[in-house]
Amino acid sequence: MKLTSKFLLLYLAVTVVVLGIGGYTSYFIIKDELDTELKWRFLDRVERVTYLLEQGKNFADKVSDQEDRNLIVSQLPSTVEPNVEVRDTLVWNERLQQMEPNLKMVAYRTVGDNSYRIATYGQLVETDDITEAVTKILLWILGMQIIGAIGVGFIVSNRLFKPFRDTLKRIKNFTLQDKEPITAEETNVKEFDDLNKFVEEMTHKAVADYINLKEFAENASHELQTPLSIVKGKLELLTETDLSPEQYQFVEASQRSIKKLSRLSESLALLTKIENHEFVETEKVNFTKIIKESTQSFEEFIALNGLDVETDLEENVFVEMHPVLADILWTNLFQNAIKHNVEGGSISITLTNDALTISNTGEAPSIPTDELFGRFKKADTNTSSIGLGLSIIKRIVDQNNYSISYNYEDGWHTIQLEI
Amino acid sequence: MKLLIIEDNEDLLENIQTYLKREGYICESAKNYQQAFDKVMSYTYDVVLIDIMIPGGSGLQVLRELQSVNPQTGTIIISAKNALDDKIEGLELGADDYMTKPFQLPELHARIKAVNRRQQHDGQNIVNVNEISINTKTMEVTVDEEPVDLTPKEYELLLYFSSNKNHVLSKQTIAEHLWGDYVDHLSNLDFVYQHIKNLRKKLEEAGANDYIESVYGIGYKFKVTK
Repeated sequence: MKLTSKFLLLYLAVTVVVLGIGGYTSYFIIKDELDTELKWRFLDRVERVTYLLEQGKNFADKVSDQEDRNLIVSQLPSTVEPNVEVRDTLVWNERLQQMEPNLKMVAYRTVGDNSYRIATYGQLVETDDITEAVTKILLWILGMQIIGAIGVGFIVSNRLFKPFRDTLKRIKNFTLQDKEPITAEETNVKEFDDLNKFVEEMTHKAVADYINLKEFAENASHELQTPLSIVKGKLELLTETDLSPEQYQFVEASQRSIKKLSRLSESLALLTKIENHEFVETEKVNFTKIIKESTQSFEEFIALNGLDVETDLEENVFVEMHPVLADILWTNLFQNAIKHNVEGGSISITLTNDALTISNTGEAPSIPTDELFGRFKKADTNTSSIGLGLSIIKRIVDQNNYSISYNYEDGWHTIQLEI
Repeated sequence: MKLLIIEDNEDLLENIQTYLKREGYICESAKNYQQAFDKVMSYTYDVVLIDIMIPGGSGLQVLRELQSVNPQTGTIIISAKNALDDKIEGLELGADDYMTKPFQLPELHARIKAVNRRQQHDGQNIVNVNEISINTKTMEVTVDEEPVDLTPKEYELLLYFSSNKNHVLSKQTIAEHLWGDYVDHLSNLDFVYQHIKNLRKKLEEAGANDYIESVYGIGYKFKVTK
């Protein structure tokens, strides 16, 4: 829900509650006012009658019961204390043909030696009428509130929130690879200025960190490869000298370790590059073609290991990915299937438009299969393996929003990639 | 052959120089951008090895300068950065080859030879090892003028051996030369032996001497007495 809509709804909800309470109170205030007004009018009438009685006027014949000018004045047999009684009553209304609520006032007055009872009553304003009037007023107010609120909301979301939306848009379009921090734009709202300044500082820092990290990864790789190169060369020069077979073995073992070290640093650099989102531009890559070409390149190794490869590939299956990543992804998967296989084992590759499944025979893994996606996790102690292949695969898969699963069952390792 | 090696690391430079001097090459070196620039501008070389990261500037800039004055010089970029961008940029600038550190000295040597051959005019495409001659243009091999039918891998192997005569080449080195990164993860390198056995057999049948010598436990040596 948009902020303005939410604000609008909240505002209207509060308005409805306030108007409800206001209406309820208004009803009683109005009713009370009207009743009081009627009471005062009747009291006034009683005072006038009393005055007239004092003047000696006789009301005995002049008792009228005409609608609202009704007045009943009767002489009491005994003297009473002056008193006023007010009560509600129902009176039959001739015109409306129904009982109507009325206010009745009975006053006891003593003029000279005689006491009189002066009674009068009048129709109260009907509660229905008050309710109706109050409701009508409130609905009008509510209607105008809604129109006003929508109008204000419109202005708020369009005009007032424009800098906010602009900032949001710039944040959305921001990518680290561009190495372009977001620059704050001047607005005349303090909060937005604060936000923009904050975003600017944050992106500046992010870009700086990104560049540092990238440089570090590159430098670390570079700094490591040069000494490795030197050692490698020295060992090669050493083999040129007159060495005993035993000494050759030592040199050869050192060479292998150097190779592994160099591959390790390359793989870590690759992982860093993927994590730094250096391969984000995607294009349609023909996966079928990649698989076919690589199975050909590996043919010799497959034959040498006595492996049996079965393929069931749908033609022209495309994936959205950086071409380099697609290649690394597949090569890693396939190399794993060859490397962790058993003598005379099998590999089965199935590619459809929905998924790539690669299975190979192999030893049961020593740790749970999903842990193998972690760095330096190895299922066997195969020393030539550095344990980064599956982490690289996982990174590539995650970055391209695909999903991957690894299962082991009855001597078969199966990796399925949903595409 | 006259070479210029642009590399700032002394040890690495020494490795390369030691190896190549044994081959009878004249090796000059430059350790920073200024030296490299001066030498490239003042002299001509057959092949120049260029490290991208050098003090005082970029190896790619040296390459650019070199291309402008001496475009026919063979160039090989040596970089610790396995960055695709650098590789593409280097090759686009006209470098003949690109190698990533750590590389093997026999591999470097083979590449220098290959680059040099490409720079030469026709007629220089023949590599002779006594009775064996290899035509690098047509990829044909003859022993005493008699053609020998080799598979592409056997041809590569022979050429590699002939580039690194009298050097011990380990199985790993040979495997990496022939199959590149594919062998990275393989522990069993017996297929190298298979190819060497076949090559040896074919050459012997054609009447050539057996130059390939097994070095116990490590690899092979293409032994040619000078």
